[in-house]
Amino acid sequence: MIETDPITREIVKNALASAADEMAVALYRTAYSTVVRDCLDFSTSLCQADGEMIAQGVTIPLHLGSIPYAMETLFAKFGDDIEPEDVFILNDPFDGGMHIPDIIIVKPIFWEGERVAFAVTTAHHLDLGGRLPGSSACDNTEIFQEGLRIPWLKLFRRGEADESIFTLLRANVRVPQMTIGDLRAQLAACHIGERAVCDLIERYGKETFTHCAADLIDYTERLVRAEIASWPDGSHTFTDHMDSDGVGGPPVRLQVTVTVKGDGLTADFTGSAPQVRGALNNTLSFTASVVGLCVRSVLREADVPNTAGMFRPLEIIAPEGTVVHGAMPAASSMRGITGFRLVDTVFGALAGLLPDRVLAAGEGGNSLIIIGGQRLEGAPYVYYELMSGTWGGRPDRDGNDGLCNPANVASNIPVEQAESEYPIRVERYGYVPDSGGAGQFRGGLAVEREWRLLEGEAHLAIRSDRRLHPPYGLYGGKRGTPSNTILYHQDGEEVLPTMVSTTIKAGERVYHRQAGAGGWGAPLKRSPAAVADDVRNGKVSAEAARIDHGIVVAEASGEVDEAATGTRRREMRSNGDAA
Amino acid sequence: MKVEERQSIRVGADVGGTFTDVVLIDDEGRVHTHKVPSTPPDYEKAVLDAIEQMLGGAGSKGSEIGQISHGTTVATNAVLERRGAVTALITTRGFRDVLELRRIRAPQIYDLFFSKPPPLIERSLRLEISERMSADGDVLVPLKESELPELVEKLQEEGVESVAVCLLHSYAFPRNEQAVGEFLRRKMPGVPVSLSCEVLPERKEYERTATTAVNAYVRPVMESYLKSMRNGLKGMQIEAPLLIMQSAGGLTPEEDAATRPVFALESGPAAGVLAAALTAESVGGGGNIITLDMGGTTAKASIIEGGRLAYSPQYEVGASLSAGSRLLGGAGELIRAPSIDIAEVGAGGGSVAYLDSAGGLRVGPRSAGAVPGPVCYERGGTEPTLTDANVVLGYIRDGELADGEVRINPESARRAIRDRIAGPLGLGLLEAAEGIHRIANARTMRALRSVSTERGRDPRDFLLMAFGGSGPVHAAGLGRELGIDRILVPPMPGLFSALGLLFSGVEHHAVRSCLLSGDSLRAEAIQKIRDELSTALLSQFAAEGFQADEVTLGGSVDVRFQGQTSEIRISLEDGVLLEAGLRAMEERFEAEHERLYGHRSDPDNPREALAVRVIGRAGARGLPGTLETARPSGGSAPDRQAYFGRKGEAIGVPVISRGELTEPMEGPLLIDEYDSTTVVPPGTKVEVDEQGNIDMRIST
Repeated sequence: MIETDPITREIVKNALASAADEMAVALYRTAYSTVVRDCLDFSTSLCQADGEMIAQGVTIPLHLGSIPYAMETLFAKFGDDIEPEDVFILNDPFDGGMHIPDIIIVKPIFWEGERVAFAVTTAHHLDLGGRLPGSSACDNTEIFQEGLRIPWLKLFRRGEADESIFTLLRANVRVPQMTIGDLRAQLAACHIGERAVCDLIERYGKETFTHCAADLIDYTERLVRAEIASWPDGSHTFTDHMDSDGVGGPPVRLQVTVTVKGDGLTADFTGSAPQVRGALNNTLSFTASVVGLCVRSVLREADVPNTAGMFRPLEIIAPEGTVVHGAMPAASSMRGITGFRLVDTVFGALAGLLPDRVLAAGEGGNSLIIIGGQRLEGAPYVYYELMSGTWGGRPDRDGNDGLCNPANVASNIPVEQAESEYPIRVERYGYVPDSGGAGQFRGGLAVEREWRLLEGEAHLAIRSDRRLHPPYGLYGGKRGTPSNTILYHQDGEEVLPTMVSTTIKAGERVYHRQAGAGGWGAPLKRSPAAVADDVRNGKVSAEAARIDHGIVVAEASGEVDEAATGTRRREMRSNGDAA
Repeated sequence: MKVEERQSIRVGADVGGTFTDVVLIDDEGRVHTHKVPSTPPDYEKAVLDAIEQMLGGAGSKGSEIGQISHGTTVATNAVLERRGAVTALITTRGFRDVLELRRIRAPQIYDLFFSKPPPLIERSLRLEISERMSADGDVLVPLKESELPELVEKLQEEGVESVAVCLLHSYAFPRNEQAVGEFLRRKMPGVPVSLSCEVLPERKEYERTATTAVNAYVRPVMESYLKSMRNGLKGMQIEAPLLIMQSAGGLTPEEDAATRPVFALESGPAAGVLAAALTAESVGGGGNIITLDMGGTTAKASIIEGGRLAYSPQYEVGASLSAGSRLLGGAGELIRAPSIDIAEVGAGGGSVAYLDSAGGLRVGPRSAGAVPGPVCYERGGTEPTLTDANVVLGYIRDGELADGEVRINPESARRAIRDRIAGPLGLGLLEAAEGIHRIANARTMRALRSVSTERGRDPRDFLLMAFGGSGPVHAAGLGRELGIDRILVPPMPGLFSALGLLFSGVEHHAVRSCLLSGDSLRAEAIQKIRDELSTALLSQFAAEGFQADEVTLGGSVDVRFQGQTSEIRISLEDGVLLEAGLRAMEERFEAEHERLYGHRSDPDNPREALAVRVIGRAGARGLPGTLETARPSGGSAPDRQAYFGRKGEAIGVPVISRGELTEPMEGPLLIDEYDSTTVVPPGTKVEVDEQGNIDMRIST
């Protein structure tokens, strides 16, 4: 056994992180779909020979915890039948996957005939067939409506492609060129990960590599345990809701009890709603990812390696048959929203234990707007936009106005690009004034966007939330404003449900406004100068400044009227508003 | 305006945040150097003082100077320190928040306390106007000219000093934007107006708006800086052209830099890489060079292939170094303008070494900077730095450095590393110092890999050229890690960027967005755009005094598989593009795609061209065969105890100057110079080549 000193470990850590990032860059650069290229809904990682993760690229955090579950089922199925130049493919959520659109590609890495590592990539594919364009729809009610289900299969056997799988794929998806293109991008990334690991072994030797990799996982665990041990022991329960079950049904309850004891943490989701009819059911792996993400985000130590060691101090209790752990044949394609709401729920519980580390609720996750149809010349298209986001107020500063949810790394789609490539026109895109929750530290403003269809007829699928249950504030901060969706057609306007699948015609416009974020701390503690800045910039109206924050801004000068402010704030205090 | 060909004195001045480097080449070809502290906020002072002193030293008059080339961080600093002009932005109605929404992306994951940088132009100064073009150039809403007078009134009321205009689809259909610009320029003659269609006619509204906004924001700052510089020069009877280094590595006349400062933001780092490129032909190896510029805070890497620079289409100013993800972005101000592709990590002499809560040894990205600096400088620093480790290892000499700017006490370095690193880890002092040195190398490797392996380039096909104060100390170790067996340390490694300025030419870039695919992707279509861009460039060069036959034009096309996210820039080899040339270009694209990503995509997958680019160059000079310095080279010094190898002891290592290296020798050796030391490990062969480069050969 070779000793790993802290110096060699740090060097190998850098090299592995660098390799996973290199994989991510390759995947991103060669990908075709807007989901991958603009929303960055993919991840890359490296695992050691037994499947435990040793590095993840700077990619979507919510994939972090999914790898162990996938690797476990891979081993269960293929055991010793894992050979050099094999490539495995999976998307089936009931075989270790997360939801149909996420295809996982795994390539074992061999050195002198011995398996030393795995290169793993996961990418959200634009369309894998199923009931509606984009495969994902909130009102899918069983997995069989959600597109092609791929259990663990060998896509390449000793370097030979299994063409029958490619043929089957092409026949089952709406835009084969895009799906195959993105699949190739995943293969390219695996290839690059393999090359990087082999380079590393060539330089340091196999023994040192394997020992450093295992040690890196232990080191991660030590870092996380040391930090959890520094938190006070205790338990906090938090409940939040989704507005609907995806098919127009009642609100869905999400509950978690987070318990810190010594150097470990338990997240118990008992009390969450039973499995729902719509496509909002999580796999256990996705729920575990949420907990990992939340704990990782409140650690003071910023530079924790992304390895399996992150999860060792965590225990997750999520009963099967509930919305946080669906059972066959639960539909799950739109479970992203459940993930986002669970993030809010777990953060809410953590806020009770670590008041200075957690932010109030943000917009509630991406809104998905999917417009799919055929161009005039006959080619099919799927326009897939993740609209996101805004941040809740924080213990020492305002929420970010217009920034993707911290559970995600999505980006918006440039208006000029959308209009050049799709029969779509974007009519407006910007902030909604007076939408951020009041507080000592204001919640971020909601974002609005409006699309007009220019050709023929198209399917429209929308996944949004936070209309009946707006984002919560913390420690006296007010909640944000609710989301809204309006369809403008010839005969007037129509408010659409938060989750909907419908059709629209050329000339019609869809307007969506996300929720505004919650505030942190009592509004009466807000700095008058900050309010005046908001008023000058049209982010908060003078009226709202007076009503919500008790700050009177003189219209002519834009300055705070000290006397009127004093009167107003006294009045608010006497009405029982907390100071 | 034109660069004079006569044998006259030329000056290169590189202004950095900490030091200002000025080099002067006299009429006999001798190089004079001067390194002085920078003089913020009046950065021109240090330059002017240095020139005055050097003229005195060379016994020359200001009127004998034929050209001054200048790299400056004035514009970058204005952005970083938010000291730009009061700037307004005019946008299409419904889109005033595009600038502040950015691409929505956060630069780091798991960071709940990240705050977006405040926008350079706040919301109250982002004004909308009624107008709308479609992607195909249809007028959906005509420009409502009746709104313009009120707009001007508002701008005047707010005391706006600079204006940016960016309307949707103006990259291809600029009519409305130009009309707004014309009106503003007429009504507000003293206020510079930056139009997005003039600054960056490229699709994607955020990128175009952000770039135009930065341009407008720094324009008055750059204008007044260049004016002060010009006045100062006049005071010394210097009438020579003042040329400014651009991020893409060419010089441009001061008037152009004042109008489009956004192209000169990354002036300093570009000059060093450019200097390396200028030597590429003479050093062999097929002109394949990886450059390493390692200073006090950062290590920067770039790649030169076949003598050609690598360009990056966009970058961010002010992004924190720890947010080094090339994927995410969002931490700084986005600039979409051609720049030399430089990868940067927070690893330099000032990088702090510390232990984390799980006992891991870390180095950087936090830097002790110039103040308090490394512990061994004894200016109040208490945390050990990379420089302290290099002093303990014996790589950097003690006593005075750089004409006494710095004094090094090795005992304080030893104490700091022993107390804070070696002791807690149970390591020997030398082992701990070597660990710090190697971890800094590992961090630097990330920059070196991102310009090489991440782009499908095998470092073993390149030589490594190291400069900056710390570059030559780490070069041999990094070369070994990368599998590179040949390393060059150019003369005056600490002043290399300034030197590059002396020999660079004038360069201008032109670009036009297009969307050519299927039947429209034809040679004539590309040729037509290229001809128009070439004509525009030639008339710009003509205005600067260059004949058409003095200008070299090079074209390239951004190509991707249809629907793919990222384009690859493919050069157009022939002057006139025929269909055969188009096929050849497509073949080069596929070959490059395979090289970068390991596959060629489906054969039936159509390609599309997104933009045509033309670069014009004139007036460059090759670096001369030898550089004779006016500074006497140091005498011999006694051996120094230095540590190589992980379990060994420090050994006595001969210390020599570059001038003493007249015969090939073998390491261990330490080559001490004015502002750096080249470390030659045991077994490494070293000589000085005809150009005065230290040439190390690592046995692999």
